[in-house]
Amino acid sequence: MTNRFHRRTVLGGILAAPFVSRANAQAATFKVGTILSVTGPAAFLGEDMRAGVELAVEEINAAGGIGGRKIEWFFYDGESQTQRALNATRRLLSQDKVDAIVGGGSMSGIAVAMAPMCEQAGVPFMSTEGAMSIIEPANERRFSFKSTADDDQVLERLAAWCIKTNQKNVALVADNSGFGQSAVEQMKIVAQRRGLNVTYESFNPADTDLTGQLTRVRASNAQVVVCWTVAPVGVVFLRQARQLGIKGRLVHSYGFVSQRYMDLAGDAVQDLLLLSVKFPVGDQLPASDPVRQPIVDLSGRFQKRYNRVPNQFVGQTYDAMKIVAEALKAGGPDKVKIRDALEKVRGYKGVSGVFNFSAERHSGLGSSDVVLLDWKNGRFNLADYA
Amino acid sequence: MPAFDATALIQVLIGGIGNGAVYGLVGLGFSLIYRSTGAVNFAQGEWVMLAGMAAAAGFTARWPLPVAAAAALVLVAAVGVLSYQIGVRRLRDPAPLLVTMVSIGIAIFTKGVVMVTLGKNPNGYPGVFGDALVRMGAVSVPAQTLIVIAACLAFVAALHLLFARSRIGLALRASAADADAAALVGIPVRRMVMFSFALAAAAGAVAGLVVTPLTLISYDQGTMLGFKGFSAAMLGGIASPLGAVAGGIVLGALEAVSSYQISSRFKDAVAFILFLLVLFARPHGLFGRRTGERV
Repeated sequence: MTNRFHRRTVLGGILAAPFVSRANAQAATFKVGTILSVTGPAAFLGEDMRAGVELAVEEINAAGGIGGRKIEWFFYDGESQTQRALNATRRLLSQDKVDAIVGGGSMSGIAVAMAPMCEQAGVPFMSTEGAMSIIEPANERRFSFKSTADDDQVLERLAAWCIKTNQKNVALVADNSGFGQSAVEQMKIVAQRRGLNVTYESFNPADTDLTGQLTRVRASNAQVVVCWTVAPVGVVFLRQARQLGIKGRLVHSYGFVSQRYMDLAGDAVQDLLLLSVKFPVGDQLPASDPVRQPIVDLSGRFQKRYNRVPNQFVGQTYDAMKIVAEALKAGGPDKVKIRDALEKVRGYKGVSGVFNFSAERHSGLGSSDVVLLDWKNGRFNLADYA
Repeated sequence: MPAFDATALIQVLIGGIGNGAVYGLVGLGFSLIYRSTGAVNFAQGEWVMLAGMAAAAGFTARWPLPVAAAAALVLVAAVGVLSYQIGVRRLRDPAPLLVTMVSIGIAIFTKGVVMVTLGKNPNGYPGVFGDALVRMGAVSVPAQTLIVIAACLAFVAALHLLFARSRIGLALRASAADADAAALVGIPVRRMVMFSFALAAAAGAVAGLVVTPLTLISYDQGTMLGFKGFSAAMLGGIASPLGAVAGGIVLGALEAVSSYQISSRFKDAVAFILFLLVLFARPHGLFGRRTGERV
């Protein structure tokens, strides 16, 4: 063990030597590490998330870097496996010696495991994943932040809509992954606070039949039926709900806002609503909306660079990198000062929403950054704005 | 627990049987290869996935659906034969354990090749009758679920005819019963093993082709389908193809009814416990026959 460690250190030293001298010869850089999963089950997110960080880094460097310092970007594939991602994290922290990490492996489970390592090393970590446990409890997560909306904010937005439309009987059909179960936990709190009657059903992301669960939902007379998953079985949910003649309004979480899923679901998406950040409908927002212009601008630049339309996953990593760049400008290269600067980011107009961080809240988005979408005429449309 | 509701229960049961028919077809593939080699073929689930992905790719390339499906079926059967030629035939001593290990390698390889060539996104295509529903009184069933069940029954019937009526079926049965004796009477045993790989792959392909319109398919779903199919084969008795199909249908129905009557949260656990209980009582599966230990 010691022997192996020693050999690796020596080898690392030899390999790193030419880089160090070259780096010294040039101007100093900021080193930013990124871990996202471009292979494995989360791969369908990873490619777009990677492109978001990449575009942000390219734009910052093309504009002359941060206060004259260019970003040196280290990217590793998390492979959708926590252990692989943690090895890469170790490498970023001890070998590449990055100033900050942006991106937590494209899966909440990975980001949750990465956070304590970044805490211990005292390196600021901007997660681009969903779960609240990445940044909570706040007193143990001093260096960890995230660029996505918290589940309690999203569910708060859902509850507000349910109350506005006078539909208080809700069913939450969530998968039993970390993503789904986090929603169930938060829903229990939100439901009690807002006086909703919620029934819960659960399923496995690998399931292919939800008839049992949905038959129970039908018997519960829920007016709103919410599905919480990122797996293709969400399409089965839509089809079988129609097949069983469920009367309630169907809602999918932000995990299902994907053009591909909508295409695959075909007719079953009629009357579906989706909880989402504003990114997919940037051009439909009222002109007064602060994030409309940033979204429209980024979409144009992204299409020019990658020849495809960006989605909200591009947006959440692009924002993450840009916000960290702001903090590097204010506090770098001192890692504690970078952290302090992140906590002071207020009113930052990103493409996912307006970010407000503070010492108590390391998650920048709020319920006003969440809207309801529908899918008509082959695109997402704004269905409920505020 | 909801109050007893017969129509709802029938509704749930039909969905479960549809799912179970898929498990059964996959289990049938396990059984065919087990009979000819004594091995558990872990690539079986990947073949199901490959069929769905290949047909979806053909459909996306604007091939007519029947053409895409037929091409996928032929492709997967060919992959089955190829797996035998490359992985099994060259083994000096194709012991069951060795063949099982090779099949794991084939599974990982297949999954990797599909990921690189056909991509990581879930894929699908419409069923023959689209999203049409068939109403039977208060119960409504997607037409595609009925097609899944029909395809399973048709495959089983065709296989039964093959085994019972044709010379090649007789030769297959003979090689499975006693390879040495079969070789002595002039049956090309190795070719029979190859043929059973092709049949097993075809069973998997049919499962993949009919289930994809209902559930979509992505490159990483083969493993779970294989696991369910293996459970089906174990439940029904892996040495009996018909038992494997029956085991699949029982497993699918159990899963569906337990998720409805007990709790969706314990669905997998309930199905698994019942599965264990069955195996405690009947170690050779519900429909398997106890075979004497060969010494």
